[in-house]
Parts: sequence; C-alpha cells; structure tokens
Amino acid sequence: MPPRLDELTMARRAASELQPGQVAALGSGLPARVAEVVPNGAAIQLLSDGGALGYSLTGGADSAGGPSLCGPNGLPVALEKGGSVVGMADWAALLRGGHVEVAIVQPARVSAAGDLLGWTTAATPGLFAPGRTVDLAAGGCKVIAMLPHIGSDNSPNIVAESIPVADGRSCVSMVITDIAVIRVEDGVLVLSEVAPGWRFDDIAAMTGAPLSPSGDLKEMAPNLEHLKTERPGKVFPDGPSAITDLQDGATVMIDGFGGPGGMAHHLLVSLRDRGTKGLTIISNTIGIARIVNFGTPAGKLAIDHSILVENGQVAKAIATYPVSPSASRPSTFELAYRRGEVELELVPQGTLAERLRAGGAGIYAFYTPTGAGTLIAEGKESRVIDGKEYILEQALTADFCLIRGHKADTLGNVVYKGTSRNFNAVMAPSARVTIVEVDEVVEAGELAPELIVTPGIYVDRIVIRPEGFSPYE
Amino acid sequence: MVEEKERLPREVVAMRVAKELPDGGFVNLGIGIPTLVSNFIPDGSVVFYHSESGVLNCGPLAEEDEQDIDLINAGGQFLQMVPGMAFFSTVEGFAMIRGGHVDVTVLGAHQVSATGDLANWMLPERGVGNIGGAMDLAAGARQVIVAMEHTDRNDGPKVVQECSYPITGKGCVSLIVTDLAVMEPTPEGLVLKEVAPGWTVEEVQKLTGAALIVPPDLREYEL
Repeated sequence: MPPRLDELTMARRAASELQPGQVAALGSGLPARVAEVVPNGAAIQLLSDGGALGYSLTGGADSAGGPSLCGPNGLPVALEKGGSVVGMADWAALLRGGHVEVAIVQPARVSAAGDLLGWTTAATPGLFAPGRTVDLAAGGCKVIAMLPHIGSDNSPNIVAESIPVADGRSCVSMVITDIAVIRVEDGVLVLSEVAPGWRFDDIAAMTGAPLSPSGDLKEMAPNLEHLKTERPGKVFPDGPSAITDLQDGATVMIDGFGGPGGMAHHLLVSLRDRGTKGLTIISNTIGIARIVNFGTPAGKLAIDHSILVENGQVAKAIATYPVSPSASRPSTFELAYRRGEVELELVPQGTLAERLRAGGAGIYAFYTPTGAGTLIAEGKESRVIDGKEYILEQALTADFCLIRGHKADTLGNVVYKGTSRNFNAVMAPSARVTIVEVDEVVEAGELAPELIVTPGIYVDRIVIRPEGFSPYE
Repeated sequence: MVEEKERLPREVVAMRVAKELPDGGFVNLGIGIPTLVSNFIPDGSVVFYHSESGVLNCGPLAEEDEQDIDLINAGGQFLQMVPGMAFFSTVEGFAMIRGGHVDVTVLGAHQVSATGDLANWMLPERGVGNIGGAMDLAAGARQVIVAMEHTDRNDGPKVVQECSYPITGKGCVSLIVTDLAVMEPTPEGLVLKEVAPGWTVEEVQKLTGAALIVPPDLREYEL
C-alpha cells in the first residue's frame, strides 16, 4: 500500500477548505494542527476551544511578542493582531449563533449519514466526556471531520450503520482522512480525492460504508495560496455609504436610555436622510432622550429615535420604555401611537436584553420568571419549575444593528465608553448586518485583546462619527 | 378630620427605607422616593448601587459642567465617575437582577396588594406604559421594598386588597413603606408593622384598601 498522509498534510488539506474572511473553530487532536499550517497573515481567524479568537501558534515561548496562551493540544499560541478572548458561554454562542463558518473536529467514528461520535468508543463504554465536540457539531456551520481512515484495530472509522449514541447527527459534510477526502451528500459517501498513489478500490475496501467515486476524482494537492489575501475592509467613509442596502421594511436595532448617550447619532441621521420606510425598531426607549432633555442645550433637541418617527419611517417598535415618563409631555412616538400610525410590542428590559442575546447566540427561546402572572405572560407558554413560575420568551434578531462604540480597530473589535456599552454590546451579535459608529478607528492590535467587549466577528461595518458631531440639533 | 393630619415627608420615608438596606449590599433604586434613599445611608455603612443603564457602584449625580453623555443612570441622569465603578452590558445587568445578585430593590408603585402584588408600570387611563426594568426587578431582586405615598392624588388607597391596575409582579413585595405606615404583605394578609407618629391604627386603616392585621408588637415609625 502507498504511504498514508502525515498529520500536517491532512491539516493542510483541511485548511485549504477555508475561505478568506472566515472564522474556523478547531477542536483538539488533528484539527488543532490546522493552526500549524495556516500561512502567516492569512485572512482567516481561528477560534480555539479555550476561547482565543484570532490566534496563531508561536512555535515556541518567545517567538511572538503577544501574551502566551495555551492553545489546543496544549501548544503555546499567541493572539494575532486584532485577536480577542471570549469566555466559554460566548465561545458556544459564536458557534450556535452562526458566527463561525467552519468547525473542524476529530471524531472516533463518522457514519454515512454524517453522524459523528466523538467521545464513546467500544474501548470506552460508559465514559461520558463529550467535551466540546457536541457544541462544535451542533453549530450549524460546515463541519469537517478529520480522522484516521481505519482504527488501531484495523476496523474502519467510517461506518454505514447509524451510530446509536452520536455527538452530532447529520452534521458532517466532509471527511478528511490519511488516505482520502470524502464528501457526505445526502447520506451518500462520495470519494472526491485520494492520497498520492491510492486507488478507489483500496480505499473503498477500507471504508465501512458504500463509497461512490466522484466524477472528478483526483489526487489530493492542498493549496493555501488563496488564503494569502487582504482581508475585506470594514471601514466605510461615512454613515450614508454604510446603509445603502438598508431597505424599506427592515428591522433595525438601536440603543437608547433616557439620556442622549449610547446612540449612533450619525447613523440615525443618515437613516433619516435615506428616508427608508416601514421600519421595525428594536430599542430600549423609542425617543425619550428628546423629552427627558437631560443636558440638552437651550433651543436644541436631542437626536434620538424620534427623528425617524417624526419622518414617518417607523411602522413598529419593540421597546421596554416607549413613552415619556410624564403623560403630559408625550413623545413623538406616543403621539403617533395614539393616532394608530405605529405598532408597539412592549417587553420588559431584561427580557429584551436576553431575547437579543439569545438571537445572537443561537438559542431559540428561554424561560424567565420576569413577567409571570402579568399582561406580558398572556399568550405565552408558562411553566412552574421548582415551585416558581416561568414564561417562555423567544429570541429576537434583526436585519441591521446601528451601534455606538467608542473605539474600533480595523477588524471591527469594539470597546465602549462608560454606560454606553449597555444595549449596544447586546445587539451587536444579533443582527445580520452590524454597523458600529465610533469616535476613532485604530489599527488591529492597538486594543488590548482582554479588554475587547465586542469581538470583530460580530461587526460588519465601521463608521467614524464626524469630528465635532453634536448629538443635539 | 384625618385629612388634616400631617403625613411624613418623602425624606423621612426614604430615611425609613434606608434602615432596611444591608451594609455592603447591592441595591437598585427606582425613580421618585426610592431615589432619595441614597441620601440617608447611615454613617459607617456602605451600599453599592446597581443601575439598569449598565453600571455598578454608581455614586452621586454629576455637576453640570462635568456631564458626560456616556455616563448615565437608568433614568438618563448624568453620573459622576467614582472609583470602583464597573460597566457592563444590559444582559449582564439583568443577569445580576434575575440571578439573585441584587439584594434589594426599592421601587415606587401605583398599587400594592395585601399579598405583595406590585402594580407600577401602567395607569390604565393612559393606555400605554413603560415597563423598563421593573418586571425584572420585581421577579429577580432578593427583596422588593415599595416606597410611596399611602394614597393617590384623590386620597384613594394605593395599598389595596387586589390590584386593579396591570401588575408588574405577583407576590413580590416584602415591605411597603409609606408616609403613614410600614406594612408587610404576607400570604395571610397585610401586617401593619409601624405607624407614623400621631396616627392611630383606625386612621391608617381608613386610608388603606385592605384589612390590616395588627400584631402585638406594633410600633411607631422607627428611624
């Protein structure tokens, strides 16, 4: 038999599946070795099981200037410029929320249906240690399995029958082994590449499930040249240029408490100028700063959601504090609501925050005690758990999110100032397109990775607030 | 005439509530009388304030020339930057509340029932209201104290047998402090703990929409 591929060649083949701009989560074992073959400066980010987002191997303790972190397989890694660190809840949210494009895992077995088994083998019955494989498999991203084609007992690791206790069902779309690349296509295994010197028949004989040759079956020749490219830029020249695809009927998230802070004022004004209609606005308040008036210079008005309501652009608001604290001083929104021009979905503040978090984290719904027994609970499933009543609330997502940051780097990592973090940091992961308005953009690497609040994986576009821009008009 | 008798000023109500706050505790204060509570923390005690705007250990309001729009409390007022302040997202701010990390919240109310139901987010005649953080605080804070006037503008009772306004939370209030009395809602009914100086139980009962249970250790308002 021809030689089998070594681990680094397998890693190169896996890395060649990545596309510029993607984030890939690497499990331990063979997948962790992908970090060893990704070219320096490649336009991708790697996410480690330990929570390093945007890391590379240091190759030794002192070969890189960054902080020394323990990476997968216990190898020393360093954050790249613009890398950040996330906690375990955020690591899982990145996967479940669809923010990671590719997960590479090493299961013990893969079935023809694309099921994978990572933690229990014939040799380890009853050993319950799924680790992170289950999360990696369930993320909904492209799952690539890397494993030896046959086990140490010469039995095939790729099997026909369904795996009774799987760590992931129908999740694997590609299997990379030491002799082959196999695509899983609707329960059919298609051999698309062979290791040099290997023939279809030999591989089929070592595979525990029926295998069909691909029409363009070829010899494996991993190429990583396509990764050596510039990252797509995120910095836009101004507000209007960043929202040219914000269309009528869009759902838009915008922060806002009673004060003038925390709102992306320049983007708000850009959205007013664009005149987009029929918007659903998800926000804490919906134009209260203008009424509350704290800090507003004489003769001026605070820029807030009211400018969109006033301009007839808002069809619906999902908010927690939608009207003025004083009935005698109604806001623009309240007046429009009384005229029947806008709809309102009223949500408790913590529930709004959690619904947004869930939306960005791939959680469909959750039970909360907040609002149990109140009007908010009407029409919602409720359940008594351990003697306490909870109601089921569903996740919220949006088309666009206009957030107010303080500084961003060129990769979209964001830090906030003071209390203006509040809903901005929650909304950033929950929209299809997240646009941040900041005072300053710095080069990647200039923000301390441990202090980054919103990693750039959540941020699509960056706009610098014009110098001297006033939140009042 | 009951109406001519003097009721306690808001500051005294706030002072009475301040006595309830645990030394070193984490506290969230609502708008109105609750906000005043922070002025009456006894010397030598420390209370850490939580605000839904995403800040812990917040202190006094900022002077006019030091206002920063990125440093506000939940009501939108400007805060001073003080040592030990911590900022966080709203998810975390409410995890603190629902997760039982906030020891006490002091809230205003439109109505409180004898069994501790709280109504403070909507007046039906307005037809629309603000929930803000109230429902989460009602459901999550370890202790919910209501600080309010005993009656509404028309001298109608705000302490009632059952709330007629939409409620914020069921059975969540553990103590009601008003300008006439201190009361404790219990599953059995409303226990009168303290009355304002110069007021009799009968007079307070007349202005209360629920039957007061008078315990043997009823006291005068204690500051």
